[in-house]
Amino acid sequence: MTLVHNWHLGRTMEYPYFESRPEHQFAAVFNINRCIACQTCTMAHKSTWTYSKGQEYMWWNNVETKPYGGYPQHWDHKILQLLWDNGNNPMEWYTSAKDKDETKAPYGLYNGDTIFELARTKGLNQVAVGYIPDDKEWRFPNIYEDTAASEKTNYETGAANESSELPEHKRWFFYLQRICNHCTYPACLAACPRKAIYKRKEDGIVLIDQKRCRGYRKCVEQCPYKKPMYRGETRMSEKCIACYPRIEGKDPITKGRRMEARCMAACVGKIRLNGLLTGDYRKPDPKNPMDWLIHIHKVALPLYPQFGTEPNIYYIPPRWAPRSYLRQMFGPGVDEALDKYASPSRTLMAVLQLFRTTQTMLSRFEIEDGKKIFESEVMGKKVEVYNDTVIGFASDGTEIVRVQVEEPTWESDEKRMITY
Amino acid sequence: MMKCLLRKSVFFGSTLVALVFLCSGVTFSQGLDKEISMEENIPTNEGLTVKYIATDLNGADRALGQADPYKLELQIQDLAFPNGGGSVQEVEVRGFHNGETIFFGIKWNDASKNDRAIAHAQFRDAVGLMFPLETVKEISPEKPFSPRMGDRGKPVNIWHWKADWEKELNVNGGKEHMEDEYPNMFTDFDFNPDPIRFHKETYESTPLMAGGISAESLLSQANRGRSVEDLNAVGFGTLTSQEHQDVNGKGSWSNGKWDVVIYRPLETSDENDVKFVPGMSTFFNMAVWNGNEGDRNGQKSVSIRWRPLKIETVK
Ligand code: SF4
Ligand code: SF4
Repeated sequence: MTLVHNWHLGRTMEYPYFESRPEHQFAAVFNINRCIACQTCTMAHKSTWTYSKGQEYMWWNNVETKPYGGYPQHWDHKILQLLWDNGNNPMEWYTSAKDKDETKAPYGLYNGDTIFELARTKGLNQVAVGYIPDDKEWRFPNIYEDTAASEKTNYETGAANESSELPEHKRWFFYLQRICNHCTYPACLAACPRKAIYKRKEDGIVLIDQKRCRGYRKCVEQCPYKKPMYRGETRMSEKCIACYPRIEGKDPITKGRRMEARCMAACVGKIRLNGLLTGDYRKPDPKNPMDWLIHIHKVALPLYPQFGTEPNIYYIPPRWAPRSYLRQMFGPGVDEALDKYASPSRTLMAVLQLFRTTQTMLSRFEIEDGKKIFESEVMGKKVEVYNDTVIGFASDGTEIVRVQVEEPTWESDEKRMITY
Repeated sequence: MMKCLLRKSVFFGSTLVALVFLCSGVTFSQGLDKEISMEENIPTNEGLTVKYIATDLNGADRALGQADPYKLELQIQDLAFPNGGGSVQEVEVRGFHNGETIFFGIKWNDASKNDRAIAHAQFRDAVGLMFPLETVKEISPEKPFSPRMGDRGKPVNIWHWKADWEKELNVNGGKEHMEDEYPNMFTDFDFNPDPIRFHKETYESTPLMAGGISAESLLSQANRGRSVEDLNAVGFGTLTSQEHQDVNGKGSWSNGKWDVVIYRPLETSDENDVKFVPGMSTFFNMAVWNGNEGDRNGQKSVSIRWRPLKIETVK
């Protein structure tokens, strides 16, 4: 084991390989608040990559209903249970000012064991704690669809009214959109005894080499997000490939420019923005929408950072779910992120407009000021909305989109209404 | 609290370390494995003598009956990650050659027959023979040769018999498919397992999107025509299937026992194959995988120390 820096945890951690970050990192921001669980992303994935025999049960992209749902069933409950280790590994965070560092420890310091460290602590004969889900657990991509947490759960986790006032909604649920996180420290890669899994230097995409894989299912066992899947038909494992031909710009539609992955480009709810993070997390580019949302504004958070893989799909947490539940899922950055989302800054308002306006990957944005159009108060904070224009550019500098905060609307002439 | 202090202090110190590796841009593998012991490099005294018996495959069973059995004690593989195995304690091997082909007869106890690897947690029974690729006269602490699947500059040749490949030699189409494990997979409600009639497209869909088949992995292919894979390795994690497959085998399971014969021409034209010349001596090692225990890769029962292997001269 070596020591590597994991900025999600604000500390170094043990990992079987040395720190070697890619030049750019495939990443996405999912705004949970907007998802309607239409599963268009899920089907976009399915019809692109897993429509053949042996892949029937595979959903590299799935949208599940929290708190009860999960694909494979109970995946996160099970991993959390393993990580909790009968209370021997309380997953605690230190979040005082001295535990934080703007770039290296933005959420504070995680003091528990990661999946890698716990395997060491317990002297297990594997790189990370984990399990292989059985056939039954893989059956449903969205079991417990729309099942809300009971009021009792609410009572235990505390009221959900810290950032929204919805007194009529005593019960809550939300959708969690899941794909492989193309982790900086992939557990799948670490677990493979054959080094059949590799992380690409150019874009951080994690792939299983189908020539090297021998179907040992170590990745299936040790990926905490349960995203590598065994294909009985070919006797080897497969996983999300981040639609890498599109990311490389091989699709003619975007004229050689990088293109967003299929599940991202298909999103009806406009919740997804896909792009590349700057490889060096200590030098985020304030004009790159990914860097800005994740590193600078910190409104989008990693999923279960305590696992220790430094996952690269980031979420804007749902406003209406109890904070304690969200903190367990997204770490201690939740409160700051939700405060920022509930009363958005001018820049955030503008950047959120970029979601799903183009399938060309945007690597830079500019904002042109507009006039004030709205003013209100949210949770005791003043919110002003300006009709700014946000412009998105591809990595070659071409302007790709130009949108305003206020969507242009037209009112039809009354005469056009035909009544009988 | 101690952990907290410790990790905080490494937090700052590591930045420099991380920087060095960032600049080098190379990913190094860090050894998780136990240090090699002196004992590992001392072969056992007794070994296997491959007798000369003038008979062919048809007479192999009888000839193997005449050959002297050699028993290898097996133990858990605890040298390299991921560790495991150890459920098979002993394997019995016999050998003979007829001047052209070398035969190994292998028997071990296994209460369960696991000859399919299709469902998620389904693993196959298997057995492996390992030889130094080049002829090695001496292995000792002074002249080490890693019994852990060889080493850099010291390749090994591995013959890996697989229970599911054996079974697939005799199934229609030369391969088992999803529907063999899940006969009702094509029907949600009516349980009519006639895929051709109702779900022709799905039934025939595999080649459309199948990484393993496009990558020409033997594991994914149908009609391999053999149950033994011919491989090379230069240490753990380097196992690689050969372009030219030269090893054959046959095996059967009954009454809690596997009985497997593995054979190959004494010499082949492939430079990645170990060469056997009557009269020579070399070494070998064995491993057994128990699918029922979830054995695969390094989770296996192994013999650890090299065993002498003597090939009798042609009489
Ligand atoms: S989410 Fe799982 S499969 Fe994807 S890179 Fe991380 S550890 Fe590997
Ligand atoms: S397509 Fe978008 S809105 Fe629909 S389920 Fe997927 S993430 Fe949610």
